[in-house]
Amino acid sequence: MSRVVVFLLLVAVLCPVRQAPAAEPAIRLEGGVFKLEGLPSPAGDGQWRERFLVYVDQPGVPPLLGSWRVENGSVVFQPRYPLQAGVRYRAEFRPPAGGAPLIRVFDLPPETVAPSTRVAHVFPSTDLLPENQLKLYLHFSAPMSRGEVWRRLRLLDEAGAVVQSPFLELEEELWDREAKRLTVLFDPGRIKRGLVPHNDVGPSIQEGRRYTLLIDSNWLDANGRPLVAEHRKTFRVGASDREPPTLGSWKLSTPSAGAVSPLVAEFPEPMEHALLHRLIRVLDARGHELDGEIGVDRQETRWRFTPARPWEAGGYQLLVGTILEDLAGNKIDRPFDVDVFERVQDRIRPETKSLPFTVRAGR
Amino acid sequence: MTGNLRTAAIWLLAVTVLAAGAVAAEYSSSLKAGKADLKSAGALAFGPEGILFVGDTAGAAIFALDTGDRKAGAAGAVDIKGINEKVAALLGAAADQVMINDMVVNPISRKTYLSVSRGRGPDATPVILRVDGSGKIEEVALENVKHSRVSLPNSPDAAAKDARGQNRRQEAITDLAFVDGRVFVAGLSNEEFASNLRSIPFPFQDADRGASIEIFHGAHGRFETNAPIRTFVPYQIKKEAHILAAYTCTPLVKLSVASLKPGSKVAGTTIAELGNRNRPLDMIVYSKGGVDYILMNNSSRGVMKLSTEKIDTYQAITSQTEVTGVPYETIAELKDVQQLDLFDKANAMILVRSGAGSLDLKTVALP
Repeated sequence: MSRVVVFLLLVAVLCPVRQAPAAEPAIRLEGGVFKLEGLPSPAGDGQWRERFLVYVDQPGVPPLLGSWRVENGSVVFQPRYPLQAGVRYRAEFRPPAGGAPLIRVFDLPPETVAPSTRVAHVFPSTDLLPENQLKLYLHFSAPMSRGEVWRRLRLLDEAGAVVQSPFLELEEELWDREAKRLTVLFDPGRIKRGLVPHNDVGPSIQEGRRYTLLIDSNWLDANGRPLVAEHRKTFRVGASDREPPTLGSWKLSTPSAGAVSPLVAEFPEPMEHALLHRLIRVLDARGHELDGEIGVDRQETRWRFTPARPWEAGGYQLLVGTILEDLAGNKIDRPFDVDVFERVQDRIRPETKSLPFTVRAGR
Repeated sequence: MTGNLRTAAIWLLAVTVLAAGAVAAEYSSSLKAGKADLKSAGALAFGPEGILFVGDTAGAAIFALDTGDRKAGAAGAVDIKGINEKVAALLGAAADQVMINDMVVNPISRKTYLSVSRGRGPDATPVILRVDGSGKIEEVALENVKHSRVSLPNSPDAAAKDARGQNRRQEAITDLAFVDGRVFVAGLSNEEFASNLRSIPFPFQDADRGASIEIFHGAHGRFETNAPIRTFVPYQIKKEAHILAAYTCTPLVKLSVASLKPGSKVAGTTIAELGNRNRPLDMIVYSKGGVDYILMNNSSRGVMKLSTEKIDTYQAITSQTEVTGVPYETIAELKDVQQLDLFDKANAMILVRSGAGSLDLKTVALP
């Protein structure tokens, strides 16, 4: 800093000019930026990143990232990222002439909005799960926070005791893009036959027993608010399911031409909820995919397709992705864990299976 | 979190450094200046010439960023207490509103890179930070950086929308590594349970998308499943590039890189099982006393050290006991290690939990 500037600063401090009440430096927080006011003619050079700094108010941390500019006689610090409610910030001006810094603390009040997010649904809907159940889907009514799940989700046994490590606790957390649906995998090492975890501690849930999935109300949504209420899903456990689903066991109810009534497929066992929405398509005789609406009900044992336009008489097919799973992760015609004596060298190809059906002329 | 890279074997570092000098323009010239529009920042891996690969789960893409950080750095002890609190303060946020998703060390400069989320919801801001040996933390600017991006190849099934026009399928990128001109990407779908490890040639070209899906089968005992790979590390066995992959269900499997042809199914060899109620997090390979070792941090079984002395001859595991396959020892003094990467020949960099919610970044001697 030049001597001239120091002199001018001294003059500014020692000889307040009449009609200039802002002669004392002051720091304000306005519109998300910090303003240092009351300096005579602050220069727009790089000195402010040394002299005017803003911190989260705790010891031993670096100052906020941001940029500085001189605007209407004030030095403005623009934080790189928006300020957060509930955080206490400390702004410091260190005068070039030395002496005590000017410090001002801004305590941003936390947002106090009533909780409104709730658990909308847990899939599978059924209360009877196979011992080798693979996945759960938790649906929430609004976006949720990451980093909470393994503290907020618990599995309780019949006595109310917490089951130890039943799930694959992935740090990545398998959310959808909106953070409204979370996929939870039971620990696959405890499901697969032949693995140490399966042989030593057994499956996470055991046949003949009853469990409760408890979703803690302290799980925070994306706005940092807890859930409206905890959620419990109680289920019984049946035998392991190692039989892969087959299309031959599906029962199709075909509509008549001219109607927009649904095509219905019924399964002998519940299928995986998310994949039912994604992996079954309806094609006409020319191989064109039909537009329409998919519904899944009866505890994921029934799939309904309502076309956007009335059915025409003729041949159609259901095209089913063979990665469609039942509750235990068995895929179409392929069980979850396979005997290795089976060959695995075949090439990957888009794997679908077709279930043809005919729409007959209406009566 | 964890996640990831697991930087590489020493041979790879050597190749990388040589490549930086000999063919400096080969990789960086493929990168164009502009805004790197990351939707999220997760798994990290260093490639040649100080190029940082970033897994963007929300954007279903891999970014290659030119960090410009190509000046050889001196090795020296690093010990930064409360790195998560410092990072949060730098970003103007409370510590509980910032997540460190991955950590890697630039093998050239020895500076540490962190992928960070500012915020915890779906709108969290992705940030890449660089930490030097003195503890100074700076932001890697994403507004104008030489970079390239490749979308993760998707099968038609994966792209299908549901009745409301939504596709809720998303693939969490759990690990990345650069091997022999290809970026290997391990991912885990939030819908179907399957193993897919992709290999994407670098420099990225749009034409390469979609042709690189590969599926591995790890055999354990008599049964096998195409389960997702959690973390992996490149490693050379008898001068042939391999990948050592740790599965979500705990087996450690070796796979020959040469066998990983696009669209093929490959049978891996299970060489160790790492115990129940445990998840492997990161792996590194290092050499000590003429022997190569694998160091692996785990969710609940601490840090394990495995010798690779018999890795080329090890037979697939066929019986089940608590400790099977390649023998390992647990390093008692290393506890609560969240992230692990190679720092230099004698040290590892770790991100370690040190108290209630506090994380330290520090170097530790390789055991």
